This record gives sequence, C-alpha cells and structure tokens, in this order.
Amino acid sequence: MSERLNIRYAQEKCFALLLRASLLMCGAVLLFLLGSIIVKGISAFSLDFLFIPAEDFGKSGGILYQILGSLLMVTAAACLVLPVALGTALFQISYNTQPNIKYLLEQSLYVLNAIPSITYGLFGLIFFVNVLNTGISWFVGSIILAIMILPTATLSTYQAMAAIPKIYHENAAALGLSKAQVIRRVTLPQSFHGLVTGLLIGLARAIGETAPIMFIATAFSGVTVPQSLVEPVSTLPTHILELAQQSTDPQALQNAWGASLTLLLLVTGFSGLALFLRRRLSSEGHQ
Amino acid sequence: MMRNSKLSLVSDNAQADLEPKAAIRLEDFSAYYGQNCIVSDVNLKLPNKGVTCLVGPSGTGKSTILRWLNRINEETEHASFSGKINILGRDVVKDFPDVTELRRRVGMVFQQPCVFPNSIYDNMFIGLRNQKLSKGEARAMIEESLKSASLWDEVSSRLSDRATALSLGQQQRLCLARALVLKPEVLLLDEPTASIDPISSRAIEDLVISLGRKMPVIMVTHNIGQAKRISDHVIFLCDGKIIEQGSRAHMFSMRSSEQTRTYITEEFCDC
Repeated sequence: MSERLNIRYAQEKCFALLLRASLLMCGAVLLFLLGSIIVKGISAFSLDFLFIPAEDFGKSGGILYQILGSLLMVTAAACLVLPVALGTALFQISYNTQPNIKYLLEQSLYVLNAIPSITYGLFGLIFFVNVLNTGISWFVGSIILAIMILPTATLSTYQAMAAIPKIYHENAAALGLSKAQVIRRVTLPQSFHGLVTGLLIGLARAIGETAPIMFIATAFSGVTVPQSLVEPVSTLPTHILELAQQSTDPQALQNAWGASLTLLLLVTGFSGLALFLRRRLSSEGHQ
Repeated sequence: MMRNSKLSLVSDNAQADLEPKAAIRLEDFSAYYGQNCIVSDVNLKLPNKGVTCLVGPSGTGKSTILRWLNRINEETEHASFSGKINILGRDVVKDFPDVTELRRRVGMVFQQPCVFPNSIYDNMFIGLRNQKLSKGEARAMIEESLKSASLWDEVSSRLSDRATALSLGQQQRLCLARALVLKPEVLLLDEPTASIDPISSRAIEDLVISLGRKMPVIMVTHNIGQAKRISDHVIFLCDGKIIEQGSRAHMFSMRSSEQTRTYITEEFCDC
C-alpha cells in the first residue's frame, strides 16, 4: 500500500517538475528574445531616432515615417474593423436565431483566424492591386489588415456578449425595452471590454505584420506622409526587413535592432492597454 | 366543474369571485419548448385584483404560463404556445403588435435579483426612457415607486451609488420598484423571494399584499407557507395541467381535492 502511495507521490512530483520545466523554457525563450532586442536595440534608441526621418535606406537617420506609417495603417484598420466586428457579434447574439448558421459563422471566424498572413497579402495583391488596379496603397493595406484582425476582434466581442447572463436581457425586455434598446443599454455596455480587447490584440498583431502588406501597401524607402489613399507608406516591419537585408553593415544592423525595439514597445503598449482596459471595463460592466 | 382544464376543480365561491371581472383569461392554452408540450390545454380566468399564487412541483409549467402572459418567453429559443391569452380585454398577440407596450403594461419580476451594473437611479430610469418626461417628473415617479417598494428610506441619499452595492433583498425590491415605476396594470412575479433572506422575503410579501389591493398580481411560488400568507386565490398545477384552483380559504381547507391536500401537506404530487 505504502509502495503504491510512494509511486503515486513520485509520479505527481515528476509531473509538477515537467510543468515547471515547461514554464522555465517558455520564460527563458521570452527573456532571451526580449533581452536581445532590448540590449542590442537600446544603443540605437533615442528621441532623435524616433523623431527624424530615415536616410540612406535606413542606415542613418531615424524611423519617424515608419512609425507614422505603421500607426496610420493600424488606425485605419481599427476604424474599418470596429463596426464590422461589432455588427457581426451583435447579429450572432441578438438576431441570428438559426443554430446551424450561428455555428457555421462561429467556425468560419475560427478558420479565418488561422489563415496565414501571407495568404491575406496574396489576396490583396490579386484582388486590389491586379483586379481593381489600385496600385500600391496604404489604404488597401489597412483593408487587408482589417480583414486579418476581423476574426480576433469579432470573436472577442462575441464571447464577451455571450457571457452576459440571459437574465439581463430578459429583465430589460420585461421593462418594455425594444431589441435595439436592450442592445444599447445592456449588451453594449457589458461587452465593450471584449470589443476593445479584441481590437487591441488584433492591432498588436497587425502592427507587427510584414507579409500581408509587403506587396500591396509599402515602399522600402523614399516615402513620407501619404497625401492620398492610394500612396504607399513605409512601416516598421518592412523597414526592419529592409535593414536586416543590409545586416553586413553594422550601422544598418544597429538601426534594425533599434526599430525592432520600437516595434516591440508599440506591440507591448497595445497588449498592455488591452489588458488594462479589459480589467477596467469588465469590472465596471459587472460590478 | 369548470370547462377549464379537464382535471380542474374550482370552489363555487371562488368561481363566482373570478367570473365577473377577469383581468386575465387563458383559453385552450398550451405551451411548448420545441416539440415538448410543457403546459397542456389550460383554461383560466384571473380576477382584476388580488394576489393569485401558482403553486405546484418543479417543472410543471407555472413559470412558463407566467412568462407567456407578457410574452417574455418569446426571448427563449424554441418556445411557442397555442390557444389564446387575453389580458385586460386584449389579446396579447393580435392586440399588441408592439410587444414592448404589452411589457410596459404587464410588469414582471424574476426569481434572481438582477440589477444593471449602473446607478440605482439609472436602474429606475431605464424603463422610463421611452416616455417623454421632464427630469422632475421622472424623479418624482422614481421616488414614488421606491417608496411603494419600501426602499426609499434606504436609498434616497445614494441614488447615484451602484445598484450592485445593495444587498440581495434590496436589489430584489429595486427590481420590483423598477417594474412599478412603469405603472403596470398587471404584475407578474416569478418566485421573487426564492433567492433572498427571510427578512427581505417578508418585506416583499407585505409589498405584494398591498399591491394586490390595487392590481392583479400573479405570483409563482414553491413556498406553500408563503402562498398561504399572501394569496387571495391559488392555482395548483401538476404535470402541465391545472389540478385545482380556488380561494385561499378553499385551497387550504379540508374541502380541497385530495391531490391538493397531499401537495400542500407533503409537498409531493402523484398526478
């Protein structure tokens, strides 16, 4: 009996050790990556680096237009994705009464979420650039980024809406509120955190993407602030790619690390804001 | 014998009480969830004042009947009904094409206290948004309803506080006040004291008795003692059918049917 207990105790100990080892491995990889970027990027990082334009294909100067280009594209993507994600999630929750269609739509979103980003880029190239003849356009890039993050934003909003107990809807309806009023007064205030979180996580992913926008929205050098919807921009990920291709030049490599650190800070900022708002808004919604 | 449900029995006095001024009539009413028939072929007349308690074992269709009176069951997937429901002389389907009007006139309070996560005032005001009221008018109506729900003294100084900070008993009274602020003509209560403490429960019982003097109040309860304390009329349901209905005096006397007596004394139904 005691031998069996000892074996069980040893098994549990081993299992706990394995879990700890997994955690350590995960933490070590993350620390190594972050550490490398911070240590190597900090030397290039300065206010000048952030606020002056790149020169000589990025080997000298800063990354002002790359930051602006990235922010412009994700802001436009956010504006495009917000109403569609909200509308789709609301339709699923409040108007879609067909369980089969509901299931199909939900599964489609999961499938869309798993599509590699290069596929979105190729779709943008074929449909917008070749078929619609838009040329290289930052706005087309934003549309593609919006399509790419749509599943994340929609699913997050949908899950937040689905988590609202049905009794809230019934109580509101019992007070004579119409469906639209129930959505306005009950569903939206209590699920807003889901929309914001999904959107920010999606944007954090979008801002770091190179593949979907490389062929359709960006130019590697010589661009400033676009004056129309159909002009290219330069973004941080494509700039890093360009600098990495010149990595034999120490100055270019140092700027690549500096740009990577900036991108990392932006992504961390979006993710941190998403976490903060999720906690803040969800506690306000459910207090 | 009534022409109601085939199994229903009604005392003569109670029948006389119910017939002349029926506020609510159900004719050949059956309710379904998908293919499952939950309530079958019920005929019912409820008076225009007083507290009517629906009692019976769980899953017997009491709440389903209640939830069809203001068509809140339309919010439930696969729920449907057949037959006629008539409230205050109007068919709930044909005469209320806008269901929100029906729900404003037929107030409802649910089993779980459910306040919205905003202020006490906003909770009270949410149903009044459709009415074009001045701030002063709205405030006066809210005050009156909170007083009716015996909650004004406890919350008058903190109307802007979060409603979720109230105790469960207070929250349930707020739900009641929130329904009353719309000045309903009928009040439906689905086990409103089931999840609150005995003291708050008594406060709500007193409130229900006083409301019953002004309007028809239909309340589902599993608590036989509560039905005995507050009801004017009692309807005993089992297995989706009305077994017996009548005045409180009749239903809790030895004159009631054997099934009713068994349920009342042993809370067990063998129908």
